[in-house]
This record gives sequence, structure tokens and C-alpha cells, in this order.
Amino acid sequence: MSGKPVKLRSRLSFGDTLRVAVTGPRSRKLRSALSTLGITIGIAALVGVLGLSSSGSADLIRELDALGTNLLTIEKGESFGSNDAKLPTDSVRRIARIKPVYEVASVSKIPGGVYRNDRVDLGRTQGLTIFAADLNLLEAQRGIVADGIFLNEQLAEFPAVVLGSVAAERLGVREVTGNQSIWIENNWFVVVGVLEALPLAADLDRGAIIGHAAAARFLDEEYEPDVIYVRAFPEHILDVRSVMSATVNPEKPEEVEVSRASDVLEARAAAQSTFTNLFLGLGIVALIVGGIGIANVMVIAVIERRNEIGLRRALGATRFHIAVQFLVESLFLSGAGGVAGVFLGIVVTVVYALIQGWTVVVPSYAIIGGILSSFVIGGVAGLYPSLRAAGMSPTEALRTR
Amino acid sequence: MTNTTSTDRHLALENSRVQLALSLEEVTKSYQGTPPVHALSEVSLSVEHGEFLGIVGASGSGKSTLLHVIGTLSRPTTGSVYINGWPTDGMSDAELSGLRAKHVGFVFQEFFLLSGLSAVENVANGLLYSGIGITERLDRSKQMLERVGLGHRLTHKPSEMSGGEQQRVAVARALVHEPSFVLADEPTGNLDSVSTDALMRLFYELNTEGTTIILITHDREVAEQFPRRVELKDGRIEFDSAYAGAS
Repeated sequence: MSGKPVKLRSRLSFGDTLRVAVTGPRSRKLRSALSTLGITIGIAALVGVLGLSSSGSADLIRELDALGTNLLTIEKGESFGSNDAKLPTDSVRRIARIKPVYEVASVSKIPGGVYRNDRVDLGRTQGLTIFAADLNLLEAQRGIVADGIFLNEQLAEFPAVVLGSVAAERLGVREVTGNQSIWIENNWFVVVGVLEALPLAADLDRGAIIGHAAAARFLDEEYEPDVIYVRAFPEHILDVRSVMSATVNPEKPEEVEVSRASDVLEARAAAQSTFTNLFLGLGIVALIVGGIGIANVMVIAVIERRNEIGLRRALGATRFHIAVQFLVESLFLSGAGGVAGVFLGIVVTVVYALIQGWTVVVPSYAIIGGILSSFVIGGVAGLYPSLRAAGMSPTEALRTR
Repeated sequence: MTNTTSTDRHLALENSRVQLALSLEEVTKSYQGTPPVHALSEVSLSVEHGEFLGIVGASGSGKSTLLHVIGTLSRPTTGSVYINGWPTDGMSDAELSGLRAKHVGFVFQEFFLLSGLSAVENVANGLLYSGIGITERLDRSKQMLERVGLGHRLTHKPSEMSGGEQQRVAVARALVHEPSFVLADEPTGNLDSVSTDALMRLFYELNTEGTTIILITHDREVAEQFPRRVELKDGRIEFDSAYAGAS
């Protein structure tokens, strides 16, 4: 009879622990729902921000992939002398000699206005520019013809014009019929094609593009390249860039300006990630506030449910059982908030991405991380209240006031 | 159940304790202070299985302290408490919890039912910490509710029941794990006279069926009816009808 009793052990199975932990929130549904709101908003913000930035940057990356990062744009730079800097007329031939270069297309800007017809007042050019272009411009830009065709060798000699996307819109050209002409420097040019937007050369979007031969024949313009687009193999793009100025104009390399069009897109992606970090920070602040909210509710619950704690101790619960009950309850609250937040975040991402026309991407680390972090917060928030509940003496807990 | 290394006297004592639902030996409970408060002074009490014991005392007589010591919710300063033969001296807090889960059934003045749970779920809480599966817990709770006359109230929430009914649910919860004794603290304190009579009848019935009941009350009229009455005053047992005439 003496010696430690071995059969006297309170037991609470895992399933019963969960069951006990949900009875509290179940009896106080509104308060429980409100207390999880902070976590829900925090997690939703995190998942939404990560989802939206992933969806957005997925599109940017796809755009970059489609357009390529191997396009160099060569323009005339500042001149030190009195006369304007110019790109030499044989620039294209020189550039083509650089080995990794596989596509060179030049464009000449031609002074003059582009009008819908001959009755529009001169000067109302609507900000449109006349371009004479090489026939491989479209390949160099990886551009797409929205309607009609691009210039070819035959059309380049005739008064035929291809409109950039913005130019077509401003001139009111919706589709290519083959009958519509526009008025360019006292000549009628037949619209043969309309381009999609060219993200790497926005200037061309506002352009009326004709052939060099037509420019010479109808507009009296001699060939003089203003902008040259160069495609080189991506692995050599930096090398090509470094030799570009000297190749184009060995005498005055400083008068040649070389830029990489995709840099702009990459800068956009970087700017976007800065915003993402900012919003992530806000989401984390919301999470911390949510965690404090849960801790607050749990502390109140422990005080309010003193009698329940006393009762459970009288029914045989150990201190450990009491601690676990309140800890799991806290985990349950914040976990529920986390799951709701993940769901809300996904909904926000899907809706916004669809409105933006993006591909929906919700990274799995956002979902898993969201739920995990809500549990971590629940654990931290529940620690003090549960220890306090467990430390209560049964007689004190059973006292009524 | 025997200890061969013990002296004969010890052995006899151990054996006698085994027969008892509850045994208190010279229990004293003091609270620190100047001067120290002696809530209980050298209280000795033995309760056999099947007894119906009423402990009566005015407020401040040490009733609550005695209840807590009997229920192992607090430890005596000196003296020993045996529950169904188990010596509680030196037991850990967890072991005392296990002891309560198996051997003690509590009924409180305020019922202490959980508002979010149905009657049968509240009763099943009496078995929650005993390691019995949920299905069996609910089965036994249903039977117990039928036994206290609430077979028709199984799924009702406490708020949908009268005070008398709620206290019956609490009694069922105290009984469902078949404890060595039921410890009731002013169980009729929050009930009207009709419910009080009904509850007392229930206690007598349960006692007739073999349940050991220890009921603490300040109500002398209620106490008059007990088969065995113990009166408490200033932390000492002043009268025990089992030893009528003892001081």
C-alpha cells in the first residue's frame, strides 16, 4: 500500500485536447471571430502582397523573356562640336561586322507631319513622327503585326505605311482595309499594317513607318540612321555593348549613345519589389497587432474562466492539461485566422490579377508560411495566458465573487 | 495491499484505511500571517463506503477549508488525508489530479456547468481526464442522466434548464466516474425549496443505491436529516453523531 501510486494518472488524449480547446471559442463565437480578425488581415496582406507581386513579376519576367534582354539601342549622343552629332551612314554595316550581332535594323526620323487626310490643318501632327525603317525592324523588335502586313521589299518602294499602335489609334485606323490612306508630307500613303505596342521602343508606337526607298522617292530624304536596334547573342551582350560606340564612330565614340531597352523593364521589376517589401512590412505589423489581440483575448479568457479552470482541476485536470488547453485554444484561434487569411489573400490575388490581366501566381511559400506563422504567433500569444491559467491554485479558481 | 515491512500496528492501520472512503488524521490547516490563522485544528474524520455524512458549520467555521482538504484541492499543513486508502502525503500535483479524476466527485453550490456544452457533454466532462474514450464517456453520461431523472434533457444547454435541473446535471457529472465519494458543497444553496427537496431526495436515493455522500452545508435544518452529522466550529469538530456525546 505504501509507495507511490502508479495507477493514479489523469489522462487527456490528443483528440480530447483538441475537443476541449475548441469548446471555449465555440461558446463565444463572435468574440473568437473578432479576435482572429487581426491575424486574418495580417496573413491576407502577406499572402496577397506575395501573390500579387509574384503574379505581376511573373508577367514582367514573361514580357522580358518574350522581348529579350539582348536588344541594344544606338542613338546619336551629345556633340562637343558646333555641329549636331550624327550616326555615320555606314553604321549598320559596321555593327553587322561585330560577330555576336545577328540583327541590325536602323530607323531614320523624317521631319514632317502625319495627318489623317489633306484637310487637317498643318501643325496638328498629334505628336506623330515619320520613320523610315529597315525591313527587319520588326524582327529586331520582336514586334507583332496587329493587322495587315509589315513593309516588304516591294512595299518599301511605294507610298505604303505601317502605323505604330498609338499612331493608329490617334489617326482612327482600327483595321487595315487596303483602301485607307493618310496624308504624309503632301503625299498619300496607303496604310498596309498596324503594329502591336513595342515595349522596347515606345517611340515607334507613335510612328508612321515607311520604307527608306519611299522616303527617298516621295519625301526627298537621304538615308541617315537616327536610331539603330541591335540584337546580339545574350551571353555576349555586354561585350557587344562595350565595343559598340567605337565600332559605330571610331573618331568620336562619345557621340554615340548605347542603351539597353530591357533595363527599363528590369528597373520596373526592382521598383515593384521595393513596394512589395513595404507592404510585406505592413503585413507583418498587422500580424504582430493581431498576435497581441489574441494574447489579450486569451488573458481575458483566463480571468473570466477562472471557475472553469477550478472545475477542470477538480475533475482531475493537471496543471499541464490546463496549460495545453489554453495554448491549443490560442493556436486554434490564430490558426483559424491564418487559414481564413490565406483564403482571403488568395481571393484578393485572383481577383486583382484577373482584373489586371495577369497570370495568377500564388507562391506555395506564401500559403505555407502564412499558416505556419499564424501558428507561431498563436503559440507565442498563448504562452503567458496558458501558464497563468496553469499556475492558478484550484481553490482560488473555484472561488466565486 | 499489505506491507510486510510495516509494524503490526501500521499494518492494522493501513488495513483499516483500506476500508474507508475517506480518512483524515489530525489534519491542521494554517495560513501564514500575524497571528497565523488556524482554519482547521487537529481534525480527524473517517468515512466508510456507503455513508451519508453531513458536515454543518456556520460561515467561518472552516467548512470551505475542510472541503478543499477532503477534495485534495489544497494540502493540509500537518496531518494526513487518505482517499480510498491512498495516502495523499507526498503526492505530486499531477498524482493528486489523477486521484480526483478517479475517486472524488464534486458538486458545487454554483453548479459550474459549461454554458457551451449540452447536459450530456457536461456530464461526460466528469470522465474527461480518466482516459476513457469519447463514445463510452457519452454512453455512461446518458445512463447517468437517466438515473438522476434527466433522460429527456440530454441535449439541452444549461441555459435551457432550471436551477434544479442544472444541479442534477452537476450531480450526474460528479457520479459518472463512480468515485469513492461525492463531495457536495452547499448544493442546495442556489435552489428554491421545491428543488432543494427534490435534490435531497435524489441524494438519499443515490445513497441507498450505495453512493457515499459527504455534504457540506450551513443549513441546520437540512443537516438534521442526515444519517450522520458532523458539526464544525472554529476549525474543530465539535460534534459527530457517529460518536454521539463526544465533545
